[in-house]
Amino acid sequence: MRNVIRLVWFDLKAELKPPIWIIAGWLVFLVRIGIYGAMISQLMTVAEIEDYSSFFAVGLVIMITFDMASHTGRHFVEHAHEGRLPYLLSLPMPRSKLFLTIALQGGAELALMLAVPLSVTLLIIGNLSWVSIIACVLTLFWLGFGVAGLMLSLSFIAFKSSDLYTAIVTGLSTIIIRFSTVLYPLIFLPPQYAVAAVFSPLTHGSDLVRLILGFEPSILLNPIYTVSVLVALSVSTLGLGLVLVQRLVEGVKSA
Amino acid sequence: MSEIRVILALARNDFSYFFRTKWLMAVLLSLNLSDMLVVALVYERMMTFDYFAYFVPAVIIMGLFAASMDTGRRIWLALRENVIQYELSLPVSTQGIVIAYLLAGGAAALVYASSLMAIALIVLPANAIWTALVLLPFLFVLAMGLAGIAATLAAIASTHGEFFFAFQNILQVTLLTLSTVYYPIEIIQNYLPPILVTVVSANPLSLTVEALRQFAFVGVPIDMGSLANILLASLPFTIIGALAYWSALRKLQVNGKL
Repeated sequence: MRNVIRLVWFDLKAELKPPIWIIAGWLVFLVRIGIYGAMISQLMTVAEIEDYSSFFAVGLVIMITFDMASHTGRHFVEHAHEGRLPYLLSLPMPRSKLFLTIALQGGAELALMLAVPLSVTLLIIGNLSWVSIIACVLTLFWLGFGVAGLMLSLSFIAFKSSDLYTAIVTGLSTIIIRFSTVLYPLIFLPPQYAVAAVFSPLTHGSDLVRLILGFEPSILLNPIYTVSVLVALSVSTLGLGLVLVQRLVEGVKSA
Repeated sequence: MSEIRVILALARNDFSYFFRTKWLMAVLLSLNLSDMLVVALVYERMMTFDYFAYFVPAVIIMGLFAASMDTGRRIWLALRENVIQYELSLPVSTQGIVIAYLLAGGAAALVYASSLMAIALIVLPANAIWTALVLLPFLFVLAMGLAGIAATLAAIASTHGEFFFAFQNILQVTLLTLSTVYYPIEIIQNYLPPILVTVVSANPLSLTVEALRQFAFVGVPIDMGSLANILLASLPFTIIGALAYWSALRKLQVNGKL
């Protein structure tokens, strides 16, 4: 375990000197919630959402979780592209531990990035119990690991071309966010879009987080479905990612 | 004459690099088209206000903005990969290199924004399509100004990529949020203090998006004062950006590094 922590810290240390990307992420969140969220909520006239600012704040937290999780997957491919992965594979440690290192580093980055946005969001919503706060944090990490697993699983595309991988993953990321309930409830999506949104993991993640934080359940998906989808997503994609790291990753070539 | 040819060759090279970057095209197109065809439509269903008509012209300006800001990334890459050392060895002055990058940034953003405009004209009927074409040179000046801002950021960040992307992200969100791209000025006046309302009104993004909405899509006759304001608001950014990038290149020539 000490080796795993040492490897996690080795990568994280470089990103924290200075932690400019974290501070920039926090500032961007504050501007978006303080100005954009407040202003756009004045234009919202639907009775189903009492306060769009808090709905939007949760959406931003989900978007940060998604961004950080996809960053974990992309980081892995970048390592393969830049030639660092062969070095990591040559270390005297099992592949499962290497996978754990990737997951832990992603988790640590997510925790750092979410610290301020999540605290501000919880303050905006207010009146929450410790149980709901802990459940919310756990759901976010659960979603984060699921998305990171999805991005790791897509890394097989990088066997062909890392450029193509980056194009697909970054393009797909935007589409996944827009065709989901991150920014708006499912009932307001046109039927053609709602069909796609039901398949988005972010729809299930954001609706579950909102349910935990006390939003009106009538505008959210049934929690039984959301929990089932999130479990299926994290188990299947992390399992696939683990298999890839164990067997296929040496095939990743710089293209 | 030969220097102009080298400047144009450099500009053409940078221009084509923008469109050859697959991931960038994927991000820009998916972001702008989904904003136009998904976010605007869904938000409209949540408002009594015709948000689709309001937001579609804004997406063109958002695209122009994002594409112009990519000039900074290309300058930063040229600095980091030492491509700039090669460019400095070409028979072209330092000012020539600066002009080439700003021209390429402006042209790439204009071509990209024009493609978004073509899509916007399909999904949202415009009352004065020819006016949209008249506005293109002004969009080019704005794009040069924004490319200038991006060049300044790249020059400040030097070879530190993390700084450049952090600055760019903060600036992008701040400039877009403090403008009338997403919401009308009446909403802003109700919420922000007067000093920030003045900033929003003077923001070149606000001026351009309002010109596009009113003149091209609503069909109001062109007001020369508004167009002059776009030029006045954009030119300082172009000049500051050109100077910042030029001084960075001079420093590189004198010290051999940034």
